[in-house]
This record gives sequence, structure tokens and C-alpha cells, in this order.
Amino acid sequence: MRPLDTAYMWDLVPVIAGYVPLTMFMAIVAMVGALTLGAALAIVRVLRIPVLDRFVAVFISFFRATPLLVQLFLFYFGLPQVMPALTGIDGVTAAIIGLTLHFSAYMAESIRGAILGVDRSQWEAAQSVGMTRGQVLRRIILPQGARTAAPTLMNYFIDMIKGTSLAFTLGVTEMMGAAQKEAAGSFLYLEAFLVVALFYWVIVETLSIGQRRLEISLGKAVAR
Amino acid sequence: MRKLVVAAALALTTALPATADTIRVGMSGGYFPFTFTRADQLQGFEVDFLNAVAEETGDEVEFVTMSFSGLIGSLESGRIDTIANQITITPDREAAFAFTQPYVYDGAQVVTRAGNEGEVTGPDSLSGRTVAVNLGSNFEQLLRELPNADEIEIRTYESNIEQDTALGRVDAFVMDRVSSAQVIAQSPLPLALAGAPFAEIQNALPFRNDAEGQALRDRVDAAITTLKEDGTLAEISQRWLDADVTQPASE
Repeated sequence: MRPLDTAYMWDLVPVIAGYVPLTMFMAIVAMVGALTLGAALAIVRVLRIPVLDRFVAVFISFFRATPLLVQLFLFYFGLPQVMPALTGIDGVTAAIIGLTLHFSAYMAESIRGAILGVDRSQWEAAQSVGMTRGQVLRRIILPQGARTAAPTLMNYFIDMIKGTSLAFTLGVTEMMGAAQKEAAGSFLYLEAFLVVALFYWVIVETLSIGQRRLEISLGKAVAR
Repeated sequence: MRKLVVAAALALTTALPATADTIRVGMSGGYFPFTFTRADQLQGFEVDFLNAVAEETGDEVEFVTMSFSGLIGSLESGRIDTIANQITITPDREAAFAFTQPYVYDGAQVVTRAGNEGEVTGPDSLSGRTVAVNLGSNFEQLLRELPNADEIEIRTYESNIEQDTALGRVDAFVMDRVSSAQVIAQSPLPLALAGAPFAEIQNALPFRNDAEGQALRDRVDAAITTLKEDGTLAEISQRWLDADVTQPASE
């Protein structure tokens, strides 16, 4: 077995580090989008808003049931054939839109579950003091649901960070794309992929520390 | 942060309709020694070649790297203007795209793990064996056209066929002769040429087959003629491949 080329690995660190902001930019924008859209979809489903409810059901079904890569290819290479205007969308935007739609479908289901998980008595108590359904949802149910949903949503965010590695197929050189290209020139696959794996690991571990803090603060209101 | 600004600027420029003065060139960035990256620097034969072409035509050149499977789709959807990734002219592709004249003449080559070249000696010896080939490449088509194609297990890859052959997961891979020789000479992988090249291939730049694409093709094609005549192309070939592959072998 040949020894690990650690000098080469050190050289790769600044190269891969240069792509961390782009990866995080895509993941964070997509996270904000998916969370907003996911919450809206969940509310439509919980309140069973007529007609809209049916559309949302189909949306969630499609984006949950098909792979992210298929969705990205469909959107980026497929749709422009019938809608030439879509050609103007660049790879970064397309990846963000793809991640947003894909993960909003998952998040909608998690948020819906979290909302429905809040005890029925909370609804009844809130409505008995004259709150509307919207008020109950906003003031009573969502804050409690958020706590239940937080760990799951964090998992989706982690998946999302890793999902950005698919953006290379759309012409966006992100962390994984950069590692692929370096490996193609050096043929030191182990070193190149090890460096990029360590980068993802460090990023996600850093986020996990933040997650623990978030969970403590969300739990304060109901701590007993 | 700088990357973000670059990405944002890229987003703005690609959102505008294609103008004549920027040629957007797609490549995988993963095909040594034609297009690859070292210390974040995109380089190789194709990069030098396209820079020389742009200098000749007076255009700007913008390199867009993406995994190989995205390249053709990006050309068709107008996100890039051409592909510099050793695209071989085939009848199917000629029907779909406007090609320049060939700028590389090469052969298909079987490559196997070092020590195995006694058994794997060329296309005839591939019967009953597993062979790796890049997805969507012309070499896949060449393999399927072999008389013993039914007996060959062809595996298509997105990248890294050299590594899987070196590891012994497949018995051989098929690629062009020139870059195979370079990979063997310059990579740490234990690989060896298996027999002689078995099909002549001609590589050129594809453009979209519409008025705009054809006009750009004509401009680039004229530049290639100049680069061939003044020896620039031969020089680029020598620099990266230690051989001049830019003329037909018969001449």
C-alpha cells in the first residue's frame, strides 16, 4: 500500500476551502426557501384549504417520490426545450430552486406531523378563549411544533449541504466538483476525496453544536 | 466571498442573450491531459487550444466546467456555445450539431491493469471481460459496434474509469490512445496499453445547428485553419501530449 500523500492534501485544503462559501450559500438560501415553502404547504394541508390542498398533495407527492438529480436535470436541461426563457437561469440558481422544491416537500410533511402532534386540548383551550384558527396556529401550535420538528429539519439541512454536491452536473463547481477536477489531474483519488469528506464533516459537526444550542433554547418555554 | 461575487457576476452574464464576443466553452475539467485542474487552475490541451482560437477570432473565451453528462444538454439548451472535451465526430452527432474541422486525430485504445497486458491484447480479447467506458462517450458506441460486442460486459462511468481499472474492478477501459498514453506515463496508477489502437477517431468542436451557431462555427473553423498553418496547434499538441496528433496519420 502506498503512503498517503499528505503534502498534496495540505495543498488541497485552501483550494477546497475556497468553495465552502459557495456551498454554504446554496444550502442556506435553499434552507430558508424550503422552510418557508414547507411551512406554507404544511399549513395548507393541516387547515385542509379547498382546491389548494389537492395541488399541494400532488406537489409533495412528486417532489418526495423522484430523486433530486432527476428533478435538477428535468428543470435545467429538460424544461428549456419547451420554455426557452428558462435558459437564462444559471446553475447556482437552478440548484437552489431544485433543493428548495425538493426539501420543501419533505419539510412540509415533518412540519405537518409536528403540528398534528401538538395535543388536541391545546386547540380546544385556545379556541375557547376566542382565538381564530390562524391565531391558534401562529401563537400556540407552531411554537410547540417547531420544537418537535427542529431535529428533523436540521437533518434536512445537513442533507441539503450534501445535496449541493449534485450542482456540479449543472456546471457549478462547488466543493465536490473541485475535488473531482483535482483528482482527475493528479489521480490521487484517496487524498482528494478524503480532504473533501473532512470538509463536509467539519461543517456538519459545527452545525450540530448550533443545533444543540437551538434545541435548548426552543425547549425553555416548555421545560419542566 | 470572492467566489460568491464571481458566481453572481457569472449569473448576470449568462442571463443575458449570447453575444458574439464571448464564446462559452463547456468542458468536464476531468479529462487528463486535455482538461484538468491543478491547485484550482484549469489547464490542459483544450484550454490552451481554445485560448489560441479566441485570440485568433478576437473573442473572449469563458470556460464552464461541469460533469461530462451535463455537457451536451448545456450545449443544446444554449447555456454554452461549444464543448472542448475531445468530442468525436459521429454520424448521430453530425446530424445534431455543426462541427468544425477535426483538430485531433486519434485512435480508440484498450487499457488494462499493468501485468495484465499479456491476456488483454486488444478488442478481440475483450470477450467475456468487463470493460469501463465514459458515459455518453464515443468509445461506448465503438465498443457496441465490435463483432464480439455481445460477449463484452460494458460498464458506463461518469468519471474515474482509470481508477476502477487500476483497482481491478474491471478488466480494461477504452479511451483515446493519446490521453491513455499520457495517463500511463504521468499518473501513479498501474496501467498498460493493451495492443494497438483499433479505430481512427476525429475530434472537433460542436456548435448548435442554427444560424447563430453556424456563424460562430465558421469563425472558429477559420481560426483553426490558421492555427494549423502557423504551427500553433502542433505546438500545443507537443506541449501536452508529446506528439503531434493534429494532422491525419496518413499525411
